[in-house]
Amino acid sequence: MSVDEKKEPSQESLEREIDAAVSGETAGLDPARADEIRETIRQRVRAEMEREMRLRTAADRRAEERRLREERRKEKHHGEEEMFQRFNRNFRFQHIVMFTSVILLIITGMPIKFPNFILSRFVINLWGGIHNSTIVHRIGAGMLIYFMVHHLLYTILSRDGRRDFVLLIPTPKDFRDAVQNIRYFLGKVGEKPRFGRFSYIEKFDYWAVYWGCIIMIGSGAFLWGESIAMKYFPKFVLDIAHEMHSDEALLATLAIVIWHFYNVHFNPDRFPGTLMWWHGRISEHEIKEEHPLEYEEIMARRAKQAAEVARQ
Amino acid sequence: MKGTVLYAAMVVALLGSCAPGLPRRAEALISLEKCTLCHGKPEFRKILVDGKIRDLFATADSLKGSVHEMKGCVDCHFDISEIPHRERPHRVTCTHCHYKGNAEGAPQSDGYLAYFDSVHGKAIARGNAKAPLCQDCHGSHFILKAKNDGSLVSQGKVAETCGHCHIQIYAQYKTSIHGVAVARGIKEAPSCTGCHGEHKIYGRMDPKSTVFATHVAEQCSTCHGSVSIMSKFGIETEQVETYKESFHGVASQFGSRTVANCSSCHGTHEIRPEADPLSSVNPKNVPKTCGKCHPGANPNFAVGKMHIDAKKKEAGIVYYVASFFKYLTIGTMLALIVHILLDMYGRTKRLRGEK
Repeated sequence: MSVDEKKEPSQESLEREIDAAVSGETAGLDPARADEIRETIRQRVRAEMEREMRLRTAADRRAEERRLREERRKEKHHGEEEMFQRFNRNFRFQHIVMFTSVILLIITGMPIKFPNFILSRFVINLWGGIHNSTIVHRIGAGMLIYFMVHHLLYTILSRDGRRDFVLLIPTPKDFRDAVQNIRYFLGKVGEKPRFGRFSYIEKFDYWAVYWGCIIMIGSGAFLWGESIAMKYFPKFVLDIAHEMHSDEALLATLAIVIWHFYNVHFNPDRFPGTLMWWHGRISEHEIKEEHPLEYEEIMARRAKQAAEVARQ
Repeated sequence: MKGTVLYAAMVVALLGSCAPGLPRRAEALISLEKCTLCHGKPEFRKILVDGKIRDLFATADSLKGSVHEMKGCVDCHFDISEIPHRERPHRVTCTHCHYKGNAEGAPQSDGYLAYFDSVHGKAIARGNAKAPLCQDCHGSHFILKAKNDGSLVSQGKVAETCGHCHIQIYAQYKTSIHGVAVARGIKEAPSCTGCHGEHKIYGRMDPKSTVFATHVAEQCSTCHGSVSIMSKFGIETEQVETYKESFHGVASQFGSRTVANCSSCHGTHEIRPEADPLSSVNPKNVPKTCGKCHPGANPNFAVGKMHIDAKKKEAGIVYYVASFFKYLTIGTMLALIVHILLDMYGRTKRLRGEK
C-alpha cells in the first residue's frame, strides 16, 4: 500500500495521536492485546481517510469535466455570443406533443398500410397484437387532435401566435426566394436569399402540417366513429375517408422522413440535429446566417428602444 | 440345407401368426354360410333401447363391388368365435388394417391418424358415444373410394352423410349457393369437406381449424382467388385482393379474431348469391349484416360496391381521390427531393471552392 510506504506528515502525526490516546486507555492491559486494539483502530482510521481522499478526487474530476464541457460549448458557439429566443415555451411544447403523436401514429399506422412488409407483423406484435396497436393509434390521434386545438387557440389568443401566423403566410417574396435559392445552389448567383423569421422551407413545413392535420383528423374521425358515420353516410364516404387517410399518411410520412429530416438533421449545417426544439434558442451566428432580416429587425428595434431610453 | 428350409418355414409361420389383420385359423373356420344362416334373413334386426332399429341384414352380396370385396365377415368382425354370439360383438376397428406399413395392403396414409386429433376423434376419446367413427361416415359394408360418386364420402354425397348428425347445418347448406351447385353436379363446388377438411376436422374455435376466424379468408380464397376455377362460373376473383387490402383483411392477417372475415358477412353454411333476397349480402339485408358489428348501419350504407379497388376506375369517386393523392405525393416528393439534391450539389461545389 502506497499509504503505508511513504507516510505523509499529517498521517504520521495522526498515528502518533492515536498511539498516545490508545496507550492511555490500554495501560493496564496485556501488551499483546493492547497492540491488537491499537492496530485495529489504526486500520479503521486509515480506511476512513482513504475513502475521503477517493471521494475528493472524484469530485475534482467531475468539476474538471464540467469546466471542459463549458469551454467546448463556448468554443463551438464562437465565444460569448448572444443567444436569441426563437421559439417560446408554448410553441416548443406544441412541437413535442405533435412529434410524439406523429411517431406513435406512424409506427402503428404504417404496418396497416403495408401489411406484407417484413417488419409490419413485428411492429404490430410489439404492441401485443392489432387490437392493442389500434388503441395506441387512437391515443396518438387524441394527442394530435389536442395539438391542433391547442395550436388554433394559440394562433388566436397568444400575441406570439398571432405574429407568427401572419409571418407564416406565403408572400411573393417566398417564390422569389425559392428561385434565388435554387440559382444559388446551381452557382448562378453568389448570394443566398435573405430570409425573414420564416424561410419558404419552414413555411412549407408549417402548411404541410396544417394540410396533413386537416386531412388526417377529418378522415380519421370517420374511421374512428365508424358506427356513427355508417348511420348517416353511404359506404363510399367511408371508402373515401379510408383512402384519404391511407394516402395522406404516406405523403406526410415521406415529407417528414425525407424533407424535414434532411432540413433539420441530415443537412451538413445541422447534423446530427440541434437542441433548438428543446431550448428554443438560436445563436447570433446562426440567426445572422439563416434569418438575416429577422436579425436586422431585432437590432433595429433594440436601437430604437435604446434611443427612446436615451431621449428620456 | 434341410435345416435352412425348416427355419424359413418357422419364421413364415411365426410372422403369419403374429401379423394382425390376417385371419386366424380358428376364426377362418366360421364360413360365410354360417353367418348368413341368421344375417341372411331380411327381417333380421334388433330394436335398440332408444327405439331405433338396427338392421343386421348382411349377405354375400353386401361387400360385392365395394373396396373390401375380397374380404370375409370375420376379417373385420374378428372377435366373433361362436354362434350364436354369447357377447355383443364389438364395433369394427378399421385401424386393424389401415395403418402405415400394414401387411394387408390396405391403403395407408396419415389421414387416418389425423382423425384421432380431430374434433370427432377427440370426442370419441372423451367417451362421447355419438361421435362418429370411420364407419359412420364411410359406411359399413358397401364402402367405396371417395372418388367414386356412389361413395358416402364423395363430393356429391358427403353433405348428406355429415347431415345425419349435423342436420340443421345440412338444411342450411342444401339451399345455399354451394349446396345447390353440388346438387347440380358441379365438381368444383365445395361440400362440407371442401372447407372443413376430411379427417382433419377441427372445431371452429380451434386455431388448427381451416375455418378458424383468421383462416377463413385463406380457405375461401383457395377457390375464390383462383382465376382458373372462378372464370368457369363468371365469378370475379378480385374480392380476395380487395378484402386483403381492406382494414378487415389487414387486421385479420395480423391475427384479429373479431374483425370481419368472408363468412362474417356472407354467412357460413347459408351463403347465397347477392341477388337472393335471403342472402346476408343482399342490399336489403346489408344494414343488418353490417349492424352485427357496427350498430346503426343505415340502409343508405348498402348503396354502391362493397369490395372496391381504388386502383380501378369502377371504384368511382374513390378512384379519383386515390389518383389525386397519387399525383400529389409523386409531385411533392419529386419537388422536395430535387430541392434536397440541388442543395447537396451546391454545398459540394462550394466546399470544393468552385464558383
